[in-house]
Amino acid sequence: MRHWMRATGWVAIGAVLVVGGWILGAVADAAAGESSLAYFRQAKINWRQFEGQKLTIGLNKHQYTESLLPLIGEFEALTGIKVDYLILPENEYGAKLTADLSQQRGEFTVIMAGAMRNWGYVPPGWMVPLDDFLKNPKLTDPAWFKLDDFFPSLIAANRWNGKFAGGMGEGPLWSIPVMSESYVLAYRKDIFDQHNIKVPRTYEEMAEAARQVKQKAGIDGVVARGTANFPTIATGYLSGVKSYTDGKWAELDEKMNAQFTDPRVVKFSQIWTDMLRESGPANWANMTWYEGMETFAAGQAGMYPDCDFFAATYEDPKKSKVAGKVGYALLPAGPGGTTYSGLFTWALGMSKATKNKEAAWLFIQWATSPRSLLNATVEYKNYNPTRLSVMNDPRTQKVMGGWGNGGYLKTVQENLKTARVAWVPEPERPRLGDTWARALHEMYFKRLTPEQAMQRANDEVNKIFTEIGLRK
Amino acid sequence: MLSHAAAVRGHRRTPILPYLLMLPALLLLVGMLYPFLLGVYYSLTSYFLQYPHLFKFIGLGNYLKMPGDPLFAYSVQFTLVYTAIAVVIQVGLGVGVALLLHGRIVGRGVLRAMMLMPLMMPPVITALMLKVMMASTKAGILNHLLGLVGLPPVNWLGSINSSMLSVLIIDTWGNLPFVSLILLGGLQSLPYEPYEAAVVDGAGGWEVFRYITLPLLKPFIILATTFRVMDSLRIFDVIYATTMGGPADATMNLHMRAFFYAFQWYQMGMGMAYAMVLLAMVFGASYLLMSYWRRAAEKTEL
Repeated sequence: MRHWMRATGWVAIGAVLVVGGWILGAVADAAAGESSLAYFRQAKINWRQFEGQKLTIGLNKHQYTESLLPLIGEFEALTGIKVDYLILPENEYGAKLTADLSQQRGEFTVIMAGAMRNWGYVPPGWMVPLDDFLKNPKLTDPAWFKLDDFFPSLIAANRWNGKFAGGMGEGPLWSIPVMSESYVLAYRKDIFDQHNIKVPRTYEEMAEAARQVKQKAGIDGVVARGTANFPTIATGYLSGVKSYTDGKWAELDEKMNAQFTDPRVVKFSQIWTDMLRESGPANWANMTWYEGMETFAAGQAGMYPDCDFFAATYEDPKKSKVAGKVGYALLPAGPGGTTYSGLFTWALGMSKATKNKEAAWLFIQWATSPRSLLNATVEYKNYNPTRLSVMNDPRTQKVMGGWGNGGYLKTVQENLKTARVAWVPEPERPRLGDTWARALHEMYFKRLTPEQAMQRANDEVNKIFTEIGLRK
Repeated sequence: MLSHAAAVRGHRRTPILPYLLMLPALLLLVGMLYPFLLGVYYSLTSYFLQYPHLFKFIGLGNYLKMPGDPLFAYSVQFTLVYTAIAVVIQVGLGVGVALLLHGRIVGRGVLRAMMLMPLMMPPVITALMLKVMMASTKAGILNHLLGLVGLPPVNWLGSINSSMLSVLIIDTWGNLPFVSLILLGGLQSLPYEPYEAAVVDGAGGWEVFRYITLPLLKPFIILATTFRVMDSLRIFDVIYATTMGGPADATMNLHMRAFFYAFQWYQMGMGMAYAMVLLAMVFGASYLLMSYWRRAAEKTEL
C-alpha cells in the first residue's frame, strides 16, 4: 500500500511537471507565434480578406514539407483561412496529383511543382500563372515579399512559355521555388592529398583520379546513381553530357527528334560507363542516390558527382565517417573548358481547379516569404536555400559555412551563377530518361556497343513522341 | 381473407431477408467489379493522364501494339520462367521443411513458431532488409559470410546474371513459411491406417514417403502450388524494392511493366492492358490448377 502511494505520489508530481511544462510551452509558443505574426503583418496587404475560406494542399514528403507543417497553424491564425493537407511519398504523390489535375477535381489547390513537373502540367492548362497575383497590390506587397531576393536562375527555371523543347526562362511564372539542388563533385580531400591525386578538371582526368583512388586507397574510386531510371541521368551524368558538348546540345531538337546519336554524347557516355565499370561500385546498376550517398558517407568511395546538399549528411559526424574530410569542387569541364551543372527545384504552384485562388495565393506568398524559408533552412535542414537573404543569413552560414572547411558554400554559390535546368522542357521526361538510362546499362554490361545502345534509345524515344503526336 | 393477406405478407417477407443478408457481399462484389470493369475499359482506350485530348476508344489497339514494345516478349518470358523456378523451389523446400517439422525433433514447438516469423513481415520490409544484407560493398553481410568460408563476393542485385536469383532468394525467404504451413497442416491431417499397414508390410522410409505420404499430400501440394503460382506471376513488391526491373531489364516482369506504364509514365491505357494480360495469365493458371486440385481431392477423399 505504501509502495503504491509512493508510486502515485511520483506519478502525480510527474504529471504536474508535464502539464506545467506543457502550459509554459504553450505560452511560449503563443508569444513566439505573436511575434512571427507581427512579422507577417508588416506586409501591406490585408491577410484576413479571405477569412473563413478553406484550402486543401497536396505535398510531397520532403524536408521542406517537414518545415512547413508546424507553421500551418500560424498561417491559419494570421489569415483565418482553414488549411487541410495531404502528404504522400514522391512516387505516389506524382500519380495522385496527376490524376487530380487531369480530372480537374481541385482536390489539391496549392501543389508542389517545379520546373520539370510544370512541363507536364502547364500544356493541358492545369496550372495558374502567378504573375497576376504578384502584380496585384491587394494581394501582394512586393517590397515585403522581395521576388528579386530569389536566385535568378531558380526563378528562370520556373518560368516557361509553354513551347516544347524551348522557352524556359520566358513567359509566365508558374511556381515559386522553395528548394534547389545543383550538382557538384564531392571528393575525399584526405585521400586526394595523401596520394597526390589531382582534383579533376576534365572527365578524362576524373576517370584517371577514380582509377588512382581505387588503386591506392583500396576503395571505390567513384560512386554514381545507376538504376535504369531517369534519376540516373538527371544529376552528374547529364551535367557531364552538357559540359562535354559545351552546353550546346539538347536531347531533343525543336521538332522533337531525339539526339542521342550525337558522337560527343556517345563518347561521353562511354567515358562515364567505362569509369564506373573500372573504378566504380560493383552494384552501380542497382544504386540509387541514397545508396551512393551512404557509400560515400561510409568512407567507401573517392568521389560522388551529385547533389550539393548531400554535404549535410557527409559533414554530420553522427551519420558519416568522412566529416571534415570532404572537398567540394565544381564538376569537371568539357573539351571547350566550360563546366556545367544541372539544376532542380521544388516550387509551390497552384492548380487551375482551385476555387479559392486568392486564398491559395496568400498561402503561397506566406510559405515562400523570407521568414518562412529561413525557418525551413535553419530549423528543418531544407538545403539549399532559394533566397539570397536566407543563404547570407548568419544562422545559415553557421550551419553550412563550415562544410568542406568553408569551401562548400563558395562552390555552391559559384555553381548557382551558371547552373541551369539541363533537360529540355517537355512532358515525357520520365519515360525519355528511363529509356536513356537503359541505354547506359546496355553499355555498362557491354551487351551493346555505345553506338548501338544510343541508336536504340534514339529510336525508342522517337516512337514515344510520334505516338503522342508531338513529333511530326 | 385475412389468412390469405397474412400469407401474402408472409410470402413477401421471406425472400427479402436472404437478399438483405447478402447485401454486404453484393456491395463488395460491386466494389470489386467496378474497378475491374473500368480497368478493362481503360485497356481499350488511349488514356494518357497527361494528354486528356488524346483519349479515345481504340478497341484492341493497346494489345496489338504490345508485341512492338521492346520489353513485352521479355517480360512475358521472365514472368513465366521466374514463376516456374520459384514454385518448384518453394514447394520442394516447403515439403522438406514440413516433413522436418512434422517429425519428432527436439524443440519442435519453438522451431514451428520461428518458421512463421518471416510471414509476419511486410514483403517490402523483407526485401529492403535482404537488399541491405546483399550489398556488394563491405557492409554487405552475406558477402562477409561468404568471405569467412573462403568464397568470392557475389554481386547479388547488381549484375544481370545474379539479380533474378537474388530476387528469388528474397521471395523464397518470405514465402516458404506459408507453403510449409499449408503442407504441415496437411501432414497432420493424414490418416494413420495406411502408415500402420505399411509398417506391417515392412516398407522403408522412402517407400512410405513415395507411395503413401506424397499421394495423400497431393491435394495440399496442389493447393500450395496454386497460391505460389498466382503470387509468383504477379510478384511486384520484392522487385520494386530491390531492382525496379533492372539491371539492364534483367528482372522486368509484366507487373513491373504495367507499373511503369501506368504510374511512372501516366499511360493508363497501356498500363491497364499489361495488367489485363497478367490477370488473364493468373486466372488461366489458377483455373487449371484448381480443377486439377478438385480431381486430386476427390481421389483421396479429402
